[in-house]
Amino acid sequence: MSQENTEETQATETTETFEPKIMAFVCNWCTYAGADLAGTSRMEYRPNVRIIKLPCTGRIDPLFIIKAFENGADGVLVSGCHPGDCHYTAGNYHAKRRWIAFRSLMEFTGIDTRRLQFSWISASEALKWVDLINNVTDEIKALGPFMDFKNLKG
Amino acid sequence: MEKALREKARELLTTGEANVIIGYEWNRRKTRATPAFITKADEVDRLIFNPLCVNNLSIYLTRKNKDILRMGKPAIVAKGCDIKNIVVLISEGQVKREDVVIIGMSCNGVVYKQGLWKGELRPEIMPVKCHNCDVRNPHLTDFVIGDHIDFTPPETPRGMVFDKIAALDAKTPGERWSFWLEEFSRCIKCYACRQACSLCYCERCITEKNVPQWIETSAHQRGNIAWNLVRAMHLAGRCTFCGECERSCPANIKLNLVNQKLVLTVKDAFDFKSGYDEKIHPPMIVFSPDDTENFIK
Amino acid sequence: MSRIGVFICQCGTNIADTVDTEKVAEEMKKIPGVVHTQDYKFMCSSPGQKMLKEAVKKHRLDGMIVSACSPHMHEKTFRRACESAGINPYMCEIANIREQCSWVHHDKTKETGTVKSLDLTRMTIERLKKNQPLKPNKIPVNKRALIIGGGIAGIQAALDIADGGREVLLVEKTPSIGGNMAKLSETFPTMDCSQCILTPKMVEAELHENITLMTYSEVEKIEGFIGNFRVTIRKKARYVNEELCTGCGDCWDKCPFKQDSEFEHGLKKRKVIYTPFPQSVPNIPVIDAPNCAMLQKGKCGVCAKVCGPKAVDFEQKDIVVEEKVGAIVVATGYDLMPNEHFGEYGYGRIKDVINGLQFERLASSSGPTGGKILRPSDGKEPQSIVFIQCAGSRDEKKGVSYCSKICCMYTAKHTMLYRHKVHDGQSYVFYMDIRSGGKRYEEFVRGAIEKDGAMYLRGRVSRVYEKDGKVIVQGADTLSDSQVEIEADMVVLATALVSRPGADTLAQKLGIGYDKHKFYNEYHPKLKPVETVTAGIFLAGTCLGPMDVPESVAQGSAAASKVLVLTSSDEMIKDPTTAIVNDFTCNACWDCVVACPYSAIEKTDIKDREGNVIRRLAHVNDGVCTGCGTCVAACRSKAIDLKGYTDEQVYAAINAF
Ligand SMILES: Cc1cc2nc3c(=O)[nH]c(=O)nc-3n(C[C@H](O)[C@H](O)[C@H](O)COP(=O)(O)OP(=O)(O)OC[C@H]3O[C@@H](n4cnc5c(N)ncnc54)[C@H](O)[C@@H]3O)c2cc1C
Ligand code: SF4
Ligand code: SF4
Ligand code: FES
Repeated sequence: MSQENTEETQATETTETFEPKIMAFVCNWCTYAGADLAGTSRMEYRPNVRIIKLPCTGRIDPLFIIKAFENGADGVLVSGCHPGDCHYTAGNYHAKRRWIAFRSLMEFTGIDTRRLQFSWISASEALKWVDLINNVTDEIKALGPFMDFKNLKG
Repeated sequence: MEKALREKARELLTTGEANVIIGYEWNRRKTRATPAFITKADEVDRLIFNPLCVNNLSIYLTRKNKDILRMGKPAIVAKGCDIKNIVVLISEGQVKREDVVIIGMSCNGVVYKQGLWKGELRPEIMPVKCHNCDVRNPHLTDFVIGDHIDFTPPETPRGMVFDKIAALDAKTPGERWSFWLEEFSRCIKCYACRQACSLCYCERCITEKNVPQWIETSAHQRGNIAWNLVRAMHLAGRCTFCGECERSCPANIKLNLVNQKLVLTVKDAFDFKSGYDEKIHPPMIVFSPDDTENFIK
Repeated sequence: MSRIGVFICQCGTNIADTVDTEKVAEEMKKIPGVVHTQDYKFMCSSPGQKMLKEAVKKHRLDGMIVSACSPHMHEKTFRRACESAGINPYMCEIANIREQCSWVHHDKTKETGTVKSLDLTRMTIERLKKNQPLKPNKIPVNKRALIIGGGIAGIQAALDIADGGREVLLVEKTPSIGGNMAKLSETFPTMDCSQCILTPKMVEAELHENITLMTYSEVEKIEGFIGNFRVTIRKKARYVNEELCTGCGDCWDKCPFKQDSEFEHGLKKRKVIYTPFPQSVPNIPVIDAPNCAMLQKGKCGVCAKVCGPKAVDFEQKDIVVEEKVGAIVVATGYDLMPNEHFGEYGYGRIKDVINGLQFERLASSSGPTGGKILRPSDGKEPQSIVFIQCAGSRDEKKGVSYCSKICCMYTAKHTMLYRHKVHDGQSYVFYMDIRSGGKRYEEFVRGAIEKDGAMYLRGRVSRVYEKDGKVIVQGADTLSDSQVEIEADMVVLATALVSRPGADTLAQKLGIGYDKHKFYNEYHPKLKPVETVTAGIFLAGTCLGPMDVPESVAQGSAAASKVLVLTSSDEMIKDPTTAIVNDFTCNACWDCVVACPYSAIEKTDIKDREGNVIRRLAHVNDGVCTGCGTCVAACRSKAIDLKGYTDEQVYAAINAF
């Protein structure tokens, strides 16, 4: 799957027509519900994001993020409940520690951190979700396809 | 020093306080120090200790070396830096403090690679960790062998690794990426780094897990990057910067850079240095509500 | 190969307006493992569900995707439909193409919505292929409840649970239940006498066939989990045989030694063999061992000699018992801030400066003065009293940051009690704000001021000192912007309510959280006010924070209702989304054990026949695990996984992206 996609993107994309693929890992209780609320409120936002729902940000493993990039994601978004609001009390605090270390590692490896973004979005912050998706999409669109990973030989 | 060490070893084996001494001995040609496992009191004279004793023997306390575990209660000859790994192993339930006798060795430094030894320990042939060492007088021991050493490490650690990290940090992401791509492209997935690390003790390494196969196994760029990122993450907050992985890498990949980078990150972000206190949990499995970052939107 | 059915809902026009559902159905059919696809107007309607069920039979489906609204809307509906069609409900997954697609992408050409729906559905299909049928966890539930703390909150919880037909074990640290309420004279806002409303409840608790009282006892250890707790309780030696004692009181009448009474806050003495107060439940004395001449020096023994039924037993020892319960209510109450905090008010130094509970005792007809307001120094009736509110409250520098909430009310009550007892007495109240929110509360305070002549001064007291048998109070009146000095006969401090000493140790034993003031944390301040993060453990009363009797009672009843719900059946059904350890690859590094926010993972030993430990393994307790998955990300060797959100499922979804 990923292989075909990669070649396709490479062949057809120019910066003008480029539509980035963005993978979002979100927790079920806050961000997923916030994204639902954007829908119930009939807000509109860029269509580039594909959500994978996890119970909690505590479940989100750096492996997911690496795999998403390997599969041709131009950007990855990770989001959950605000600190103190985690449905499981502390999953997001654990997540935050991991992100601090992982992001530093990614940065050190030379991955453009604009392609890996983190956020806290509550179940009521539909607007924040919409803005975030729009901004991230535009930012990554401007950056162009993420060739660093796509060019890797597999 | 060796005399005192041998005496202690003899005593431990005779009294039965330990069943095996994990230490160093000469290779046959007396050019290199290699690990020794001594179970008989009359063989303790094989034990040596000198700047060639670079290996971190703590690896023989882990589940990776089941045959050695079967020899009975170990007494381990350990430099301060090796003890840091033992501390992590204890804090992660891999060794019980009471199940190992730690013979701490006062240490003036070792060579970076045994091949560099010309009969004299000069600063140029010592690894960065020795120049910044704050455990020349070992910290968690049952016995200390050797005299007290007066040495104050520099306030902020320095040396080649730190310079290189700073230089890389100053580059653009693109340049860093090319640098690491070049480094990791040499990886042949031999896993020598993993083999040499006493903190890579997993019963089954993530690379060997195939449902799902998170890390592609063959030695190509994509798998290499994933492996090296994951290896570094798994050591975040745990790595003691002993340097065994880089020493063992046949492709000379600069693993010390990644490891030390994360050591610095963890120190900055969580105010934690691994290997000092066996009673506290490694930082990546705990948290503080006050952890701060500047990137989560 | 799986046999998956994919159903795409048009949701009237809600989805169909911007998504070409027919095309999605068509495309999805091409995916290996998908044997049937269909789009339909309203999947969730009864014809829609009937269609689903028929399709399951007709196409022998073993899994189902419904591309429709958010799983938060209808996941349950569709999973139930699945179940009634004979496939495991967890083999049904929802692709959210409404809230997260058709409703947020308004492209009328349907291009945008269709592309995204295809992706979302495909990712869900690939995920589903890795699903495993799951069975809800059934956890046996022990129907007994433990209540820790026998104040009004704990008593109320005990009575409600017992009336609901469940057995209750009520453990109280002191020799009698009753708590702080037993010390109160009359209670705001109705001014009924505290003993008159409390004593009947205490007696009922003693006599109730479903309640076992364990007074003078403390919880030492708690193990297990919801429905299955094992509690170790130490029953301290009373040196009085509870079976034999009739509570006649001959022993405490004759005991020659005296000590300050804890219950009377030092305003009166009690004997060394004593009950805390006359209405104590149980009415069985205890011997204050460190002060007993017989126990310490082997001399005396008067009580044993005078005891008719020979109940005094100097040989008695502490007893440690283990009890099994299914639920726990913590109702350990509050304390007043100790006097060393109040140097500037002379508290602890000047005899006639007392705290609110001491005033309650003076006003109580069963108290040390028989209900007469007499000052401690010389037993004279005070002609004027200064009440100082917020002593230690609302000032982080000098005490605590929070408002103790009840002091405005009880101070107003105190001024009334004073005026009712000393008709020409004048009371002055220094206050910061008057907080009298509550049914009839504001009217109550107005009554104190308007009918009973209390003089309210807004401002802080700066100094209190003794002069010629008077207590001089200097302070500011910020409303008239002047300094005031009052020569009073007595000063009453409304000292801050604080948590009990040792509240933190108990919390650690229970595995529940507490704030920086050591008040216990509710699971959710609004929606789960009496629950804790540890399932099966509930809270009631002032151990959560300052509150008055009506609130404490309400919480006691709320906690009781939670316990009754939990114990309403023999088994608890729990979501099967729980973590599971792979015994072959677990390293026993305990990363998961440490990371789990619920302490749901135990360290277990695998032993050989001789009982030698050959391996150690992590083991997840399904009863406690909530399925957050924090452990999974923490485990380096991926030896632990989360059912319903396994690595394989996530991996498949990412790969389909
Ligand atoms: C001066 C004053 C006047 C007041 N006047 C009024 C009023 O007029 N009207 C009104 O509504 N409210 C009034 N209140 C408030 C009232 O006292 C409380 O709301 C009420 O007593 C709280 O009950 P509780 O059960 O939560 O706690 P408590 O009464 O403190 O009971 C807790 C019980 O738990 C026991 N305990 C503690 N730790 C343990 C342990 N580890 N193991 C076993 N047992 C333990 C204690 O011994 C105690 O018996 C007043 C308070 C004060 C200070
Ligand atoms: S984290 Fe993984 S390896 Fe460690 S104890 Fe838990 S399941 Fe076992
Ligand atoms: S899923 Fe969450 S609650 Fe369950 S064992 Fe893992 S960390 Fe604990
Ligand atoms: S449930 Fe949202 S972050 Fe834990």
